[in-house]
Amino acid sequence: MWLLVAVGLSVVVVRRRSVAVGLVTVQALLLAVSVVHASVTSKGPAAAVLAIRAVALGALLLLVVARTREPRPVRAGIAPLVRCGLAVGFALALTWLVPTIGLESRNAERGALALIAFGIVTAATRRATLFQVLGIVLAENGLALAALELPGGSSTAVELGVAFDLTLVALVAAVFHERIFAEFGAGDSARLRSLRD
Amino acid sequence: MTSRELLALAVVAAPFLTVAVVVVAPRRAVATVARGGAFASAAAAVALAAVALGSPQHPLVERWVVVDAAAGLLVGVIGVVGLASVLVSPAYLTVPATTGLVRPEWRTRTFYALLFAFWAILAAIPLIGNLGGAWLLVEATTAASALLVGFGGKPRALEAAWKYLILTSLGLGIALLGIVILAAGSVHGGLDALSWRELGNVRSGHGSTLVAYLLLLAGLASKIGWAPVHNWLPDAHSEAPAPVSALLSAALLPAVLLVAWRSSQALSPVIGPSTARSVLIGFGLLSLAVAVPFLWQPMAWKRLLAYSSLEHMGVIALGIGFGTPLALAGVAVHVVGHALAKALGFYAATPLIGHEPRAAGHPADGIGRTRTSLGVVLGISLGALAGVPPSPLFASEVLIVAGGFAAGRPWSAGAAAALLALGSLGLAQALIETTTGAGRTRDRETAPGLRGVALLTCVAVPCLLGLTAAALWLPGSAIAHALVRGIR
Repeated sequence: MWLLVAVGLSVVVVRRRSVAVGLVTVQALLLAVSVVHASVTSKGPAAAVLAIRAVALGALLLLVVARTREPRPVRAGIAPLVRCGLAVGFALALTWLVPTIGLESRNAERGALALIAFGIVTAATRRATLFQVLGIVLAENGLALAALELPGGSSTAVELGVAFDLTLVALVAAVFHERIFAEFGAGDSARLRSLRD
Repeated sequence: MTSRELLALAVVAAPFLTVAVVVVAPRRAVATVARGGAFASAAAAVALAAVALGSPQHPLVERWVVVDAAAGLLVGVIGVVGLASVLVSPAYLTVPATTGLVRPEWRTRTFYALLFAFWAILAAIPLIGNLGGAWLLVEATTAASALLVGFGGKPRALEAAWKYLILTSLGLGIALLGIVILAAGSVHGGLDALSWRELGNVRSGHGSTLVAYLLLLAGLASKIGWAPVHNWLPDAHSEAPAPVSALLSAALLPAVLLVAWRSSQALSPVIGPSTARSVLIGFGLLSLAVAVPFLWQPMAWKRLLAYSSLEHMGVIALGIGFGTPLALAGVAVHVVGHALAKALGFYAATPLIGHEPRAAGHPADGIGRTRTSLGVVLGISLGALAGVPPSPLFASEVLIVAGGFAAGRPWSAGAAAALLALGSLGLAQALIETTTGAGRTRDRETAPGLRGVALLTCVAVPCLLGLTAAALWLPGSAIAHALVRGIR
C-alpha cells in the first residue's frame, strides 16, 4: 500500500515526462498484481482490466512523449519540494475530512485518498500538458484502489467502463497535446491563457 | 421487451447507427445521410417524449432503463436540438477552414460522426437507470464533445477544449469517489446497488452518505457548469462550432443536471430531503451570483450566451432544490424554453460572425441596423433568455421563485428574485445594444446560413409562446406531480 503511495508522490515531484509515465504505469500494475497476489479470485477480472488499461495507457503516453520531444522539460512554476508539501498536506486534509469510506481496510482508504489528492495536485501545479493528463490517471489509480478494496469487490462491468472511458479521455488528450505542441512549440499549458474575462 | 424499452433503445440506437453510416457513406452523400439520420433520431426522441409525458403517472423504472416524465422531457429536448444542430451544420462546414483537428477532406465526415456519437451518448443519460452507468455516460460525453469543442483547431479552440477536458475529467473523478463511497455502503454490493431505486438503501450512515453526496454533486457541478467550478464553460461554449455550442448548452448541461437531481431524490431518505435540497439551492444561488456581473459586461455574443447558461443552470438548480410542484413545473418550462432560445442564439452566431467577423471577440452592436433579419433573430433569442414577457423563461422564473416561497425558503427565493432581475436587466441592455445600438460599416449581404436560422426562428417563436401558455396549467398537472414524486 505505502509503496503505491510513494510511487504516487514521486509523480508529483519528478521532472521528466517519460519517468512519470513509467511511474503511473508501474503503480497500476503493482495494484493489479497485489490483488492477484492476495488470491482474491472474485477480484481477478477487475485486476486484469486494470493491468490491461495500465499497459495500454503507458504505451500511448510514451508514444506521445516520443512524438513531442521538448528541447528541455517545461518548468512547473512551483518547486518540487513545495509541490511535495502541497500534495502531502492535501492528502492529510482529505483523509481528515472524509470519514470512513467502508473499504476493507482503513489503510486502503487512506492510500486511495492520498493518490486522489496527489493526482489533483499534479494536474493543478504542473504546467506541462502531459503532466496534467498524468494527474488524472494518478487520481484514477487511487479510485481503482478504492474500487478493488470494496467489500465483495467492485463490478467488472464498471471497471471495464471506467478503464474504457479513461483510455478514451487519454486518447483525446493525446490528440490535443500534439496539436498544442504543434501550435505553440511546447506542451505548456501556461501558453493557453488567451481566454480571460 | 416493452414498447417503452424498445423506444428507449431506438432513441440511442438511431444516432449510433447514423455514426456507422456516416463513416462508410460516399463523401458526397455524408450530409444527406446525416440529415436523414437526424430526422430518424429526432423522431424516435419525440415519440418517447410523447409517450413519457402522455402518461407521467406510469413511469417505467427498471434496473437499467428509466422512462419517466423527466427523461421524456430531456430526451425530447436532445432530439429537437440535435436535429436543428445537424440542419444548421452545413453553414458552419461550408466556411473554408484554415486550421482544423483533421484534414480538410475528412472534415465533414468526422464532424458528423462526432456529433452523432455525442448525441447518442447524451440521449442515453436521461434513460439510464443506474448511477454507475450514468457516470460512465457522462464521462464518455467528455471525449466526444472535447473533440468537437476543439474541432476548429485554432489556438483559442485548443485552449478551450483542453480546459474542458482536464477540468471536467478531474471533476468526474471526484464524483466517482462519491460513487465508490456509496457502493461501499450498499447492502448487496455490485452494480445493482447503484440503481436509482436501490441507492436510497445505503447502510453507511448519514455522515458517510452526506460526504458521498457532496463529492458526487461537486464532481457533477464541474460538468454542469455550476459555480465555482464553471471555468471551462464560457471558453468551451464560445469557442466550439455554433451547432456544438447549442448541444452543449441546451442538452448536455441539463442532462447532467438530471443525474444530480436523480441522485438528490434517491439519497434524500438517508441524508434528509432538506439537506439534499439545500446543497442544490446553494449551487443555484452561487451560480446566479457569479453569472450576473458578467451579464452586465459588454461581451462577445457567444461568450454572453455562455454566461447566460451559467445563470440558467443556476435557476434550474434552484427549482429542483425548492422541489415543490410550482417550482418543478417552472423547471420543466425552463429546461425547454432555455434550450430553444439558447440554441437559436448559438445558431445565429454563424451568420453573425460571417456578417461581422469582429463579433467573434467583441460585442455585436447595432446588428439590427445593418442586417434587420439577423437583428430580429438575435433579439428574439436574447429577449427570450432575458425573460422579457411573453418569454416562457419569464413564466418559469416566476414559477420557480413562487415555488421557493411555497417551500418555506423565503430568503433563498427573495435572493433568487433579486439576482434574476439584475441578470435580466443586464441581458436587456445587451439586447438593446445588439439590435439598435450604434451601427458599424458592414457588408450588408454577407450572413452565411441566415436563411436557415430565420426559418428555425419561425418555428421556434410559436413553440416559445406555446410554452408560455403551457406554464399556466403545468403546475397542477400530472407531469408536475410526477416530477415531484421522482423515481419511487
